[in-house]
Amino acid sequence: MSFGKGAGGEHSGRVSLRGIRKSFGSFEALRGIDLEIEPVEFFALLGPSGSGKTTTLRVLAGLEIPDEGVMTLDGVDVTFAQPGERDVAMVFQNYALYPHMTLEANIGFPLKMDGVPKSEIPGLVREAAAKVKIDHLLHRRPGQLSGGQQQRCALARAIVRKPRLFLLDEPLSNLDAQLRLETRVELKKLQRSLDVTTVYVTHDQEEAMTVADRMAIFLDGDIAQVGTPAEVFNRPRNMDVAAFIGSPPMNLLQGRLDGRSVTIRDYRFELPRPPDQPPREVVVGIRPAHIALAGEGLPATLYLSENLGESMLLNLDVGDELIKVRLPEVRGFAEEERLHLAFDPDQVHLFDPETRLRID
Amino acid sequence: MAEPMAAPVASRQRRGRQVRQAILLIVAGALLAVWVFPLIWAVIVSLKSETEVLAYPPRVFFEPTLANYRDALFGGVSILPSLLTSLIVSGVTTVLTVLLAVPAAYAFARLRLRGKKTLGFYTLATQMVPPVGLVIPYFLILNKVGWLDSYQGMVVVYLTFSLPFAIWLMVSYMEDIPREMEEAAFLDKASRLQTLWHVILPQVRGGIGVTVIFVFLNAWNEFLFAVQLGGNTVRPVTVAMYNFVSVEQTLWAKLSAAALVAMIPMIVIGIAAQRQIVKGLTVGAVKGGGRR
Repeated sequence: MSFGKGAGGEHSGRVSLRGIRKSFGSFEALRGIDLEIEPVEFFALLGPSGSGKTTTLRVLAGLEIPDEGVMTLDGVDVTFAQPGERDVAMVFQNYALYPHMTLEANIGFPLKMDGVPKSEIPGLVREAAAKVKIDHLLHRRPGQLSGGQQQRCALARAIVRKPRLFLLDEPLSNLDAQLRLETRVELKKLQRSLDVTTVYVTHDQEEAMTVADRMAIFLDGDIAQVGTPAEVFNRPRNMDVAAFIGSPPMNLLQGRLDGRSVTIRDYRFELPRPPDQPPREVVVGIRPAHIALAGEGLPATLYLSENLGESMLLNLDVGDELIKVRLPEVRGFAEEERLHLAFDPDQVHLFDPETRLRID
Repeated sequence: MAEPMAAPVASRQRRGRQVRQAILLIVAGALLAVWVFPLIWAVIVSLKSETEVLAYPPRVFFEPTLANYRDALFGGVSILPSLLTSLIVSGVTTVLTVLLAVPAAYAFARLRLRGKKTLGFYTLATQMVPPVGLVIPYFLILNKVGWLDSYQGMVVVYLTFSLPFAIWLMVSYMEDIPREMEEAAFLDKASRLQTLWHVILPQVRGGIGVTVIFVFLNAWNEFLFAVQLGGNTVRPVTVAMYNFVSVEQTLWAKLSAAALVAMIPMIVIGIAAQRQIVKGLTVGAVKGGGRR
C-alpha cells in the first residue's frame, strides 16, 4: 500500500490529527490531541519533558499507533499505515546513523530501499550532502565525524528523497551552545528552500520561537495552545502557558479587578482597555521585563539579584510571593533593599483563578 | 625550577610502567606455559615411535618420524572419514544454529511478544540440565524415530544444546543496538527483513563470530553423545580417535598425531571468526551512532 501525493499539488504535506490518545501502561502520554498542520509550514511542538510532544511526533512518523483517534496526511487516513508507507523522514535526537556504513551509504540508504535506480543514487546523495555542506566527507563513517557533522548527515539522509513530511526530534540538543545557534539559522533556511512541511520537537522555547511559523504548546499530554510564536508569547491562552513561555516566565499574582482598576495588595493601577467583567478576583500576569522600579507602587524586598551582563534579573519578595523583574540596565543593590514596583498597564494579562483561562 | 623537578618524576613513572609490564609478561608467560605444555607434549609424542613413547626415562633426543601421521591418516584405522563426518555434523549444526538463532534472537530482543520472558527463561533452563541425564532419553527418542546413528539425528541432538546458547548470546548483542536505528530504517522504507539484513546483521557480526566459534567447537569436541547415539555410519573424529585406545595397549603416538590433525579445522575457524569479531568490535566503536 502506498499513498500518492495528495490533491494539494506541489504544496502537499497537510497533516491532521484528531482525538489522538495514547497510553503506555497506566501513563497517559496523549489525552486527545487535535492538530492541523498546513503544507510547507515549519511547525514546532514545544513542551517540557513528558508532555507528549515526542509521542506526537512518533505518531506522525508511524512509530506509535494511537489507541484512539485519526491521523490524515493530505486527506488520506494513515492512522495505521507503516512508517515506510507514509513518505515521511525523521531526524532522531541521537541521529541513529548506521555506524557500519559510510556517509554515502547512509544518505543513499533510503533511496536504495525506495528502489531508486543504482545509477541515480550517487548524484542525489551528493546533492543532498552539498545542501548541508558535508559532501567532502562522504567516504567517512559516522564514528569518524564530529557531533555537528553527524547531525548534518542525519539531515541529509532525511532530505535526500524529498519527503512529504519532515520530522525533527530535538535535532539540536546534542550540539554545543554555539553550534546550536548557527545550525538553528541554517535549519530554518534549509526548510525554506525545501518547501517541505516540517514538524520540530523541542523543549527549548527560544529555539521554537525563532524557527517556527506556528507552534503547539504541550502540557501534560494535552495541547494547551496553538499559534504563531508571537500569539503564544503575547496572548497566552491560560495560566499554564503563561507560566511556561518566556525566560524567565510571566509573574502570576493574586489580585482584584474592579471596573478599570486592578488591585494587588495595596497597589492599584488602571487598565487602558479593561475587560467587560463584574468586580472579581483575578490572577494578574506580567512579564519580568514589563515591571519597572518606581518611587511608589507595589512594595517589595530584594531577595536576590542576578547580573546577566546586559541586563539584570531581580528576585523580589512580595509578601509571600516571589516575583521576577528584568531591568534593562545593570546597577548595584543593597541586600534586602526595599523597592517599589510599577507595572506597565498595557502589558498586563488577566486570568480566571478558577478556570485558569485568559480574561479579555 | 620546574624542569629539574619534572625529569625524575617522569623517569620514575616510566620505570614503574616498565616493572608493571615485566610482571605482566611473566604472569602471562607462566599461564601460557601451563596451557601450551600438553600441546607441545602431544607434538613431541606424535613424532616418536610407539616404543620410544614408552621409554623411561623419556629421552630428549630421538629420531623424529612422521609415520604416526601417515598411519593415523591413511593407515588401517584412518581418521580421514571421521574427520569428514565431524566436519559435516559440526558444520551443519553451526550453519543451522546461526540461521535459526539470529531471527529468534531478534524476536526476543525486539518484538513485543506475549510470554517472551517465560520463553527466555525456558531457553536458558535447557542449559541447566546435565547432559549425562539426557543421553538415555535422547537414545530412546532417536531409536523410536529411527534416527540412531544418522547425520540428522546427531545434528538435531546438537541443535538442542547449541540453539538455546546461541539465542541467548545473540540477544545480548542485538539489545545493544539502539532502537532508533531500526526505526530510522523503517522510515527509510526498509522492511523488517531488510532492516535485519542491512542494519542489524552487520552490527552483530562480532556476535555471530563468537557464536560460530562456540557452536562449532562444542560440536567438534563432543564425545559423550557421539559415542552413544552415533556408531558406525556417523563416527565423528572424537569417537574414531578412541580406536587407538584399546584394552591391550594405547597407541599414544598415533593418538597424538590424530588429535593434532583434528585440531586444524578448529584453528582455521577460530582465525576466520576472529576477524569478524574484530570487525564487529570496530563497528561498535561509534561516538554518536548509538548514544546508550
